[in-house]
Amino acid sequence: MGFLEAIVSDIGSLAVPALFNVYFAVASIPVGFVLAVLLALARHSRRPVLSRFAAVYIYAFRGSPLFIQLFMVYSLMLSLNLSLWRPWGVDGFVLHPLFLGPLVLTLNTTAYTAEIIFGALRTVPQGELDAARAYGMSPWRQFRSVIWPNTIRVAWPAYTNEVVFLFQATALVYFALPVVDQQRDLMSKATDLFYRDFNVFAHYAVAAGYFLVISWLIFVGCGAVNRRLNAHVAPQRRVALRYAPKYLR
Amino acid sequence: MPDWLTNIVGSDVAAWLDYVTNGRHLQWYASFGYTIGAALLGGAVALVLGLTAAALRRSRFLPVRLASAGYANIVRGVPDVLFFLFFPLAFEQALEWIVATGACSVEERAASSALWPPCRDANIFFSTTQYFLLASVTLGIVYGAFASSVIHGATAAVPRAQLEAARAFGMSERQVLWRVQIRQMWIYALPGLSNVWMLLVKSTSLLSLLQINDIVMWADRLGAPNFQSRAGPIHPDWRWRYYLVLLVFYIALTWLSERFFRWLRRRAGRGMIAAEA
Repeated sequence: MGFLEAIVSDIGSLAVPALFNVYFAVASIPVGFVLAVLLALARHSRRPVLSRFAAVYIYAFRGSPLFIQLFMVYSLMLSLNLSLWRPWGVDGFVLHPLFLGPLVLTLNTTAYTAEIIFGALRTVPQGELDAARAYGMSPWRQFRSVIWPNTIRVAWPAYTNEVVFLFQATALVYFALPVVDQQRDLMSKATDLFYRDFNVFAHYAVAAGYFLVISWLIFVGCGAVNRRLNAHVAPQRRVALRYAPKYLR
Repeated sequence: MPDWLTNIVGSDVAAWLDYVTNGRHLQWYASFGYTIGAALLGGAVALVLGLTAAALRRSRFLPVRLASAGYANIVRGVPDVLFFLFFPLAFEQALEWIVATGACSVEERAASSALWPPCRDANIFFSTTQYFLLASVTLGIVYGAFASSVIHGATAAVPRAQLEAARAFGMSERQVLWRVQIRQMWIYALPGLSNVWMLLVKSTSLLSLLQINDIVMWADRLGAPNFQSRAGPIHPDWRWRYYLVLLVFYIALTWLSERFFRWLRRRAGRGMIAAEA
């Protein structure tokens, strides 16, 4: 089989595995985002207990490799299996990579995203906050009308990078978790194909191509959101999205 | 375990001490050397590659510029684990291909039923040390791409006025580059380079994917359920405890690196305005 035919056949056989990566990202990003906002608010809060807890969580998850986190959570779940999951009859569900993968990715992205949002929360202009209080806005109203719009606008470019890199981090899931029923993601499938015909250049190149294309699509989509968030800002003062990986696992 | 020590700490603690200093655990502790060695070696390669690629990106020759930008963008655009698996395998196959051109006759090639290598003589087996070096260099290549974009950005961040002032003092272009631009580049590059270093440290956890007996593999072995009393105490699945140790190890490593880079930044920024930013 020629190299080109190998590429074409790989594009076909890696299409379904690519959906697994997309699934991991889609299942973890929205939950992670909501949790991250709460965690960032906790980190920003004046109560030392809340703030300390959030700081420790963020530091622990950003300071350790995702690979180890996956192993850690999986082995923890395995140890709890006999005592907890099996009596409840949920062991097949709780130990399944399609559940565990998004769980760990969510815990992980929560920490990275919270750090981004926390950084953005601190840039909310004090004058606008004072004005909101002077208007007699309730705390929720202040958050909704003043704090949040400012925060998300500042945080969005960094968050875009976080989303792209979370998507790339989904490549690690099946190296730490077991493959069930031939459900494989891009990396796992490419490695599997490699051990059949040792064609390292075709399989990994096509897998890399999938990662590049989907990352690019995420980037373009987030760019559109960024333009919308900055609709009221004069064009020359807008912050353009840059592919600048600051946060990676 | 000597008797006098058992008398001091009590038999319970002594049994634990015995367990965590048995031969297999000592091998585990030794394997931390792989992780730290790969980080240091990979970091050195990444720095050299990053500086080279950043310099080539300012070249006057367009293909060189494109090649450097392509290296930075493609390697950053795919997951590190993909490149980490791809490069050693590709390197090995390339070597085997070169060996095969000399070692394999036409008949041997025809007789070989395997898809790779072309004949049995061309099969290369790397030792652990060679795999370790290959893994470190791969980490260096991946994070060299990150470092090159950091250094490229930092070089451009040096204030133009300073370069113009240096030229006005009659410095040659070479002097301006080395004495002003590159000297000051470090201050702008250090925060980014510290980031790249953290990434590199964390991706050393992938070494076990290249069959290196690193800390992850040992943690997996030591923590697996043990049913033979001659291999230490009988215990159920203790893997999560061992992974917890690794987690703490990496967090400590991050913390140490942070402190180191803070010190480095303060040192590099002596007498510079940019350091306060």
